[in-house]
Amino acid sequence: MIEVSHLYKRYHGPFGGDWVLNDISFTIPRNVSVGIVGRNGAGKSTLLRLIGGMDTPDRGSVTRHCRVSWPIGLGGGFQGSMTGRQNVKFVARIHGGNDRIPDLIEKVQDFAEIGKAFDQPVKTYSSGMRSRLAFGLSLAFNFDVYLSDEATAVGDVAFKKKATQAFRDRVGQASIIMVSHQEGMLKDLCQAGILLQEGQALWFDDIKDAINQYHESLGK
Amino acid sequence: MTEATSRNPWQVTAHVWHALFLREAMARVTADRIAWFWLLAEPIAHVLLLVGVRTMIGRVRIIPGAEFIPWLVVGVTSFILFRNQMTKGMHAISANRALFAYRQVHPADTVLVRSGLEGTLSSIVMIILVCVFTLLGQDIIPVDPMKVMGFWVLIWLFGMGTGLISSVLVTVLPESQKFLSMIMLPLYFLSGVMIPIQYFPHGIREYLMYNPLVHAIEFVRSGFFEGYRMVDGVSVLYLGYWVVGALLLGLLLQVRFKSRLMSE
Repeated sequence: MIEVSHLYKRYHGPFGGDWVLNDISFTIPRNVSVGIVGRNGAGKSTLLRLIGGMDTPDRGSVTRHCRVSWPIGLGGGFQGSMTGRQNVKFVARIHGGNDRIPDLIEKVQDFAEIGKAFDQPVKTYSSGMRSRLAFGLSLAFNFDVYLSDEATAVGDVAFKKKATQAFRDRVGQASIIMVSHQEGMLKDLCQAGILLQEGQALWFDDIKDAINQYHESLGK
Repeated sequence: MTEATSRNPWQVTAHVWHALFLREAMARVTADRIAWFWLLAEPIAHVLLLVGVRTMIGRVRIIPGAEFIPWLVVGVTSFILFRNQMTKGMHAISANRALFAYRQVHPADTVLVRSGLEGTLSSIVMIILVCVFTLLGQDIIPVDPMKVMGFWVLIWLFGMGTGLISSVLVTVLPESQKFLSMIMLPLYFLSGVMIPIQYFPHGIREYLMYNPLVHAIEFVRSGFFEGYRMVDGVSVLYLGYWVVGALLLGLLLQVRFKSRLMSE
């Protein structure tokens, strides 16, 4: 269960900044996967970063009653100068899995299928390879909730299938909170939806309603 | 499969430091093809070069209670211990920015770990230099090893504190980086590393004694050489104030600016 209460966030530019998130509250129950939709700049990634504890809110709080992954996405999580293997080892160590490194590496390699590139610096990877590695790495750990920020957007068909299958296998044990513009993927993986607009969050028990409302708000 | 629930905050920190230490060490050793060699050779070459220059200029000045070359070696190595932590610690946060995606990793961790690594390297360099110069027939075996180690650790902690402060400064005020690298050279000359403080006129010496590095380096030297006459006015308490002050201020700044350090 993740409780978000009265969350405020803004970014300070040289001329101040408007609230990106303005008094947002909701509770995500256990084992419910949620898709976050909204237009570019609505604060989707910001919300995900706050849920993941990567950033601090200006006001309000996020309470995590379960193990939450780091936000998996295009925007980082890997040190470019380190190889895939070194990055995996690093993440394993900070999560206290030092003695299970060989096992974890095998799992990640299995999922990512990037071959020899695993021993090349991550900065040489294509965005698809990065997201394969990122997804494989987070799935190697037993989190209750996985956070995905457009992590599947750049993957090929095989990878999307694999990611979807991985989450189907974990229904009942783990859930996902995902930011995505791929509606097929959202409908496949999520039950509930959150629509972000003008700093406010609207909760929908059905992801389809959230997507429909999103389309309406765009004036389609 | 890895469970991540049953760890207390101390264990998490220990795991993060372990992971960061290995990552930093790996980065230092594999930076380029001869990085592993340069790691120890650079400070050693630095010391040897200075010794060479000073011997060639001739006019080796008399140091009360110590031979000139060992005196210089001890001073330069102690200064390098401080300098490397400050200059390398300054960039610890920007070099590890991608890793803040994991909420276990705090900006202060990267500075502290880098400081630990740099200090370890400097200590190894010091031991190597002591061995080398002993084999060359110089009298550089410390007479009071405990005293040397104690003040060595104080310089180490002082470097850690300044690293914590400077890493916040260069992130919050990027302009300060130029200033910080600029003061390193004058600091070299004003810390009594190459020129004994005694050779400065009394009026100037009074102000030079405000520099805590003067105190620290003099104490390290007095642990090395029997009968070494330290500059008048050195004080353990004064040095201690600076060390504790730098560490506290550094940690405070790290807490205060944490979110800015992570996002910029």
